[in-house]
Amino acid sequence: MTELLQVTNITAGYGDGPAILDGAHLTVEPGKVHCIIGPNGAGKSTLMKAICGMLTIRKGDVVFKGKRLNGMRPDQILREGICFVPQERALFPKMTVRENLRMGGFILDDKKELERRIEGILERFPILRERADQHAGTMSGGQQQTLAMARTLIIKPAIVMLDEPSLGLAPKIVQEMFDIMKMMSAEGVTVLLVEQNALMGLKNSDWGVVLDLGRTLFEGPAATVLADPRIQELYLGGKKAA
Amino acid sequence: MADILQILILGLALGGVIALMGSGLSLVFGVMRIVNLAHPSLIIGGAYVTYWAFKMTGVDPIVMLPVASLIMAAIGVLLYRLMFERETKSAKYSEMTVLLTFALAMMVEGLLGGLFTNTQRVVSPDYATDAFFIGDLFIPKGQLYAGIVSLVIITALSLFLKYSRLGYAIRATTQNREAAELLGVNVNFICILAFAIGIGLAGAAGSLVSFVFSFFPAKHWEWIAMLMSVVVLGGMGSILGTVVAALLLSVIAAFVGTWIGATWSTLTFFLALFLILLVRPQGLFGEKPEMA
Amino acid sequence: MAVTLDQSSASAVVEARRAHNEKLARKADQTRATWFPLAVMAILIALPLLQFTGNYNYLLHMVLFTASHVAMASGWNILGGFAGYISLGHSVFFAIGGYFSGMILARYGISTIVTAPLAGLLAAVVGYLIGMVTLKVRGPSFIISSIALLMIARILFDNWELIGGANGVTLPVNDLPVQWAKIPYYYAMLAIAAFTVWASYKIKHSKFGLGLRAISKDEIKAESAGIDTRFYKVMAFALSAFFVGMAGAVWGEYLTYLRPNIFLVILVSANLVLMSILGGKGTVAGPVIGAILIVALNELFVATMGASEINILGTGMVMAAGLMFFPLGLVGTLARKGKLPRVLNWD
Repeated sequence: MTELLQVTNITAGYGDGPAILDGAHLTVEPGKVHCIIGPNGAGKSTLMKAICGMLTIRKGDVVFKGKRLNGMRPDQILREGICFVPQERALFPKMTVRENLRMGGFILDDKKELERRIEGILERFPILRERADQHAGTMSGGQQQTLAMARTLIIKPAIVMLDEPSLGLAPKIVQEMFDIMKMMSAEGVTVLLVEQNALMGLKNSDWGVVLDLGRTLFEGPAATVLADPRIQELYLGGKKAA
Repeated sequence: MADILQILILGLALGGVIALMGSGLSLVFGVMRIVNLAHPSLIIGGAYVTYWAFKMTGVDPIVMLPVASLIMAAIGVLLYRLMFERETKSAKYSEMTVLLTFALAMMVEGLLGGLFTNTQRVVSPDYATDAFFIGDLFIPKGQLYAGIVSLVIITALSLFLKYSRLGYAIRATTQNREAAELLGVNVNFICILAFAIGIGLAGAAGSLVSFVFSFFPAKHWEWIAMLMSVVVLGGMGSILGTVVAALLLSVIAAFVGTWIGATWSTLTFFLALFLILLVRPQGLFGEKPEMA
Repeated sequence: MAVTLDQSSASAVVEARRAHNEKLARKADQTRATWFPLAVMAILIALPLLQFTGNYNYLLHMVLFTASHVAMASGWNILGGFAGYISLGHSVFFAIGGYFSGMILARYGISTIVTAPLAGLLAAVVGYLIGMVTLKVRGPSFIISSIALLMIARILFDNWELIGGANGVTLPVNDLPVQWAKIPYYYAMLAIAAFTVWASYKIKHSKFGLGLRAISKDEIKAESAGIDTRFYKVMAFALSAFFVGMAGAVWGEYLTYLRPNIFLVILVSANLVLMSILGGKGTVAGPVIGAILIVALNELFVATMGASEINILGTGMVMAAGLMFFPLGLVGTLARKGKLPRVLNWD
């Protein structure tokens, strides 16, 4: 197997609450874009939070490059190279774009290297350079999402997990977000994506994962998931999909 | 005209001290969402440290300030770990922490009262009773020095928050705790640090307060509403807002005190607090009503 | 590979849930014991008979003192427990009640026991008006506003010459022999306490009480469910002020003097909060149990250590420990664990 991250049969939930994830599997292969789909409350976001260490995993294993991540703190997992952008985008609204990028490299100790990488990011995302000294909270949704995604690149992560990057964005902007995602993937960053708009997500991905009731129901090439009639009916909104 | 200028100067000097008294409160609220009702009682703790140091060795209160600050900061770490760390997962966190700090305030008051009795104390270095005269204006040295030291400390704090790595982490935690955690900030450590700085600021303020006001253990009740009005008007969590609000309200209180009567000058703060909560709960500098 | 919701298993789940709910309802019915408070009342009503056999003034004083706190804590609980708005300024209503009836007594010689309901009413009106303003904010802001209220009231009372300013007013002492001097206040306070607890029970089980509890759980949802949250909150504030005001009225005459530093101190408010939380915020029995516990504890501190500083330290420590280890209070914690003795379940 060439998997980068292997999630095996995990159970997890919030606090003492019920298990949201119960028997979730996930295989992440290097360099690909993986899309997790499933209805509301299926446990998609919870799965990502469990991987990045924000939730305690009660049972099962998360193994990254042969190393077990269970029980590690979020900052330790981040240092391993797994980055998570939650639905709310996790920006600091009263910090400037540049300061937000600096926070993105909080775990880097070399200040000069950090400034160089920030320069690199601003080079690649002109819109961020334009707004470098503006408070993040004053930008549009698309710009904020761009910043959130670009910020992950500062630490040159192995895996970036994106929780619904398209949330609340206009369709045209959504495609831009997927383009950024593909660019990240082309640079060798492995992407793990949760997408409510399953059809769109799968079309922009290599690998599809169907999650429901906290369990992984199906994993396979995105094209296969798209073509499966049962999945089409249950999760892709019927035959009109295609 | 000279009268007005005189009142203005006195108000501003006092406002500087009150700004420092409020800044720790504001920081602790900003980072941890704890409304620390025990803050004034801890300021009085710092004042007692300074008082006894002065009484026993004659050390100047301003020289004693860093020591009082460090002692109080250490106490802050202890208090946070014992009382507040465990509440972070509580469902009614903000309400719970207010009540806990209220209980803490009573404990500190009771402890100080038991140890030092409720006698009024004041530290009296030479400058506390001296003044500069410029023409008709007189500027009490004690208040002036205290105001200047306050503003220096607050400036240092702002620079630290703005430019240092830990300052970044503290600001980030203030704005979005979860995001800070995701970017590798050890949020719990930052909370302990911020709480320690907040209580350390209370200690520093205590040193200044010790020769500006007379104090006794139960005095903190008079200060809590005053400091709350400053912090709330400044927009909870904003240090700059706290400073502006402190200067503003102190000046108004000085005018009220001179023109209407000393009793009513403290009322300025309470009425202001009341009005702000009702008219603009987010304060002058807050952008959204986070507490409302 | 895909899983669908199995029709039969779904109905099984629904069935199980229904059975569970029914069991809960049955349990609640079985464990409630309203006879117990009634029995306690009967004993307390008969208690003054002891005066025929000797001097039990201290015992009567303790019961009276406890009863006053039962009334005030239960009153506070209507706003703080049911609606979830923590007030640290309720001493204001205690003072309003005490001063209103006390001043009438001083001027016209009418006993505060007669005017207590009026005093409560005045406190309620003031509470209503203040609530209209301060209940716009919630959480910590509300708590702070309540402290500010207390501070403002203190300054006003300290400087109001008509009511004696900071020196207060001395009230006439009744002319009963020492042995019986406390009895009128004893019964009056007992009646006020009983009435408050009864009212608290009635409120909790009314539609109004349900609305308050909804507000405490999630105000926005409560509002979207069609509850006039504004009116409910303000009414809760007024009601809670009413009971505190009544207790204050009788307390003033019993004490024989009115003074801001007795009535308008934050410790009075703090004690009400402490009693409700320690006993069990939002339950009917909680504030009663809490009042008994705290009064006993205070008495212990004063008896063993004397100084009021120690009393403050002790109160703070008990409050902190209670909050940290029994956030639901005695009644709440026991009820959650299903271990609440039947005699304490009045809800």
